[in-house]
Amino acid sequence: MDTLSTTEGKVNIPVLSQETDNTRILAPGAVRDGSPMSLMEKLGILTDSAKYDVACTSSGVDRKGNGRDLGNCVKAGICHSFSSDGRCISLLKILMTNECIYDCKYCINRKSNDVPRATFTPEEICTLTIEFYRRNYIEGLFLSSGIVESPARTMELIYRTLYLLRNRYRFNGYVHVKAIPGAPPELIQMTGFLADRMSVNLELPTAEGLRELAPNKHRRNILTPMRQIQNGIQVNRHDLAVYRQAPSFVAGGQSTQMIIGATGESDYQILNVAESLYQRFELKRVFYSAFVRVNEDKSLPALPGGPPLQREHRLYQADWLLRFYGFQAEELLDESRPFFNVMLDPKEDWAVRHLEQFPVEVNRAPYERLLRVPGIGVKSAKRIVAARRSARLRFEDLRRIGVVLKRALYFITCGGRMMYPTKLEENYIVRNLTNEKDRVQFGSDGMTYQQMSLFDDGRYSLPTEPDTVYRAVSGQL
Amino acid sequence: MRVYQCEDSLEGVSTAIYRAYEEHAEHRETWIRVDRELMLFGEYIPVETDLERAEKVLRTLRRRFGQEDYQSLCMALVTPHPEKAQAVYQTVVYGLQARPLPGHLLDHQTDSRVLQTYQLSKKAGREYSQLRQFMRFRELQRGILYAENQFTNHVLPYLMVHFADRFPQEDFAIRDIGRGVLGMHPAGGEWYLTDSLELQAALTKAGYSAREMAYEELFCWFCHKIAIRERRNIGLQNQMMPKRFQKYTIEFSKSS
Repeated sequence: MDTLSTTEGKVNIPVLSQETDNTRILAPGAVRDGSPMSLMEKLGILTDSAKYDVACTSSGVDRKGNGRDLGNCVKAGICHSFSSDGRCISLLKILMTNECIYDCKYCINRKSNDVPRATFTPEEICTLTIEFYRRNYIEGLFLSSGIVESPARTMELIYRTLYLLRNRYRFNGYVHVKAIPGAPPELIQMTGFLADRMSVNLELPTAEGLRELAPNKHRRNILTPMRQIQNGIQVNRHDLAVYRQAPSFVAGGQSTQMIIGATGESDYQILNVAESLYQRFELKRVFYSAFVRVNEDKSLPALPGGPPLQREHRLYQADWLLRFYGFQAEELLDESRPFFNVMLDPKEDWAVRHLEQFPVEVNRAPYERLLRVPGIGVKSAKRIVAARRSARLRFEDLRRIGVVLKRALYFITCGGRMMYPTKLEENYIVRNLTNEKDRVQFGSDGMTYQQMSLFDDGRYSLPTEPDTVYRAVSGQL
Repeated sequence: MRVYQCEDSLEGVSTAIYRAYEEHAEHRETWIRVDRELMLFGEYIPVETDLERAEKVLRTLRRRFGQEDYQSLCMALVTPHPEKAQAVYQTVVYGLQARPLPGHLLDHQTDSRVLQTYQLSKKAGREYSQLRQFMRFRELQRGILYAENQFTNHVLPYLMVHFADRFPQEDFAIRDIGRGVLGMHPAGGEWYLTDSLELQAALTKAGYSAREMAYEELFCWFCHKIAIRERRNIGLQNQMMPKRFQKYTIEFSKSS
C-alpha cells in the first residue's frame, strides 16, 4: 500500500535527548516566537481536546506478555491514576489532531472555534506511549482525532500510527481507537486487527438531535462502521475457534458514547437506545457523557447548575442493571415516567414499585431474584448462592458476605424472618431508604411520598445555632 | 496444646502443616504460628523449613482445592496478620474433611476460619492490585527502571511476576522500603529477590537519567490537562486513589 511507504526505512524517534531536553519542552504558558511547537505544548492542546471523550477503560482483553515485546493486557483493566475530577486515567487519551473540517455545535474543536490547533506526528505518539507505559503511568493508548481533510485521510493517519506502534515500536499493550464514520471499510478493517477496542461515537441519542447539533454527521454513517465492526468480531470469533493463531480483531469489543443533556431526550429514550445498541450491535459498553457547555451557541442549552452529573450517574446505574442484573429498559422507565427518580437509585425505585415480589427468602431464592434485591450486587449474590450450599445463612453471614443490609433489610427474609420488624409498605420503605439530609430537602419544597404533617417541615430539623442559645438565655430572643 | 513455630513463608507454613499431619495432631488443639508470641499451656515445637515436604503439601492443596483457591491461600500468607498461619491451617483441615469441589473451598464462609482466610487474601489481593496501578518507575542512568513503595503485605513477588511479564526486555528493580527487600529483573532474564544493601545503594547512586525529568513533566502536564474543570471532585479522586499511594506517584508529589 502506497500510503504505508513512510513506515518503511529508518524511523526518527523524537526522543528527548540530553541536549535538547530543556529547549524542546516549553513551560506551560510561556510565549513562543514562530519556533516549532514543543511536545509539551502539543500534548497540552491535544489532551485538552480529547478530555471530553469518556471511555478510558482498558478492560476486556487478557493477553500475556510474549517475552519479547513491551506490554501485556489484564482482563479487568488497570487504572493508573485519577484526575482531579475523579475520573480514572488508564490510557494516554489524546487526539491525533484537533484540526477539524466539521462544525458540531457542542464540540470544542469545531472548525468555527478559534482555539490553538496542533497535530502529533505518528512517531511522537508512539514515543509518548512507550515512555509512559514503561514507567507504569498508563495502560495503553486511546487515540481519537478531529477530521483532517476527509474521514478517509484521518483513518489512514490513525492506521499508520497504530501500525508503527505495533510493528516498529513492538508495543503489546492496550490500544483503543476511534473508527471514523465515513472512512473506507478496508481501513477500518485493517485498523481493527491492530486495536484492542474500537468505538464509534453515537454523539447524541436521537437522529433529530444529531441533525440539529452536528449538521455534518448522519446517523446512518455512524451505524455503518458499528455494524461492520460487529460483523468483523463475529467472523473473527469463528476464525479463532478454527485457527488458534489467527490474528484477533477488536478483541476487547466496541463501545460508543452519547452526550446527555445537550438535546431534549428523556432518560427513557436514552435507555432504550442503549438497550438496542447492546442487543442489536453487541456493544461492550455505552458511555454517557454529561453535557459540558464549552461553546456559546444559541441552540445549546444553558446549564446554570453545571453539567447534569446526577442524571449521568442514574443512567450508569440503569446501564449496569441492563447488563448484569437482567433488567429490561421497560421495567425501569416507561412513557408515563420517562425520567429517573432523583431520590432513589433505579433498582430501589423498581423494588418499591414492585413490593408484591418481596420479601425474598435468601436461603432459597434463585440467583436472578436475589439480583433484584437492592443492596445485593452481582458479587454478593454469587457468594450467597455458593455459601448457602454448605450452611444455612443468617443475617450476620450476609453482612460478612458484603450485602448492604441498610438497604436490603426491607426486602429479604433469612430463615423466614425479617431482620427487624418492618412494614412492607411503599411510603415507609422510601422514607427509610432516603437518608436524613435528602429527606429534609425533599419534604421542604412540598413534594413528598406521604401526607404532610405539622412536624414534617424541614426547618424543624435545622440544628440550633450557639448564637441563638445565647440570645435565648440572655432574654434577647 | 501443641504450637508449631515456623518460618514466615509459604514453605515454612506448609512444612508445619505437613508436620501436624505426620504427627497425627489433634487439629482443634493445634496451632501454627509464624511469630514468637507465647501461648498459655502451649507445647512449643520449632519447625525447620523443608522444601520437599512443603512441595508435597502445596501439590495436594493445588490438586484438592483448585488453582484459584490455592492462590487465595498463598495470598493470605503474605499478610502481616499474626494468626494468618493458623487461619490457613484450619482452612486446609476444614477443606480436606469437607471435600469441596475444586474452586469452592472459600465458598464455605459460614466457617469462621475459612472466612478469615478469605478476608486476609482479599486484603492482600487488594493491595497487590492497587500497587499494580499506582507503582511508578523512574529511569536511572543506563536505562534501569526503579520503583519503590511501602508495602503493608509482602506482595513484592506477585508484583515481580506481573512486571516481568509486562516488561520482559527491561532492566527494572522494585524496592519494598519497609522490609528492605529489592526485586531485580535483568532484561530477558529471570527475576529474583535480594536484601543486599550494597546493591540497593549502588543502584540509586548514579541518579536519574537526563530525560527522566522531561517525561515526568509531560505526564504531570497530561494529568493536569485531562481533568474537566466543570466536574472537579477532589473527594472522589482521594477515594479512588488513597493518600498513602499518592505520595509515591510523581503526578501527586510533584504538584504538591
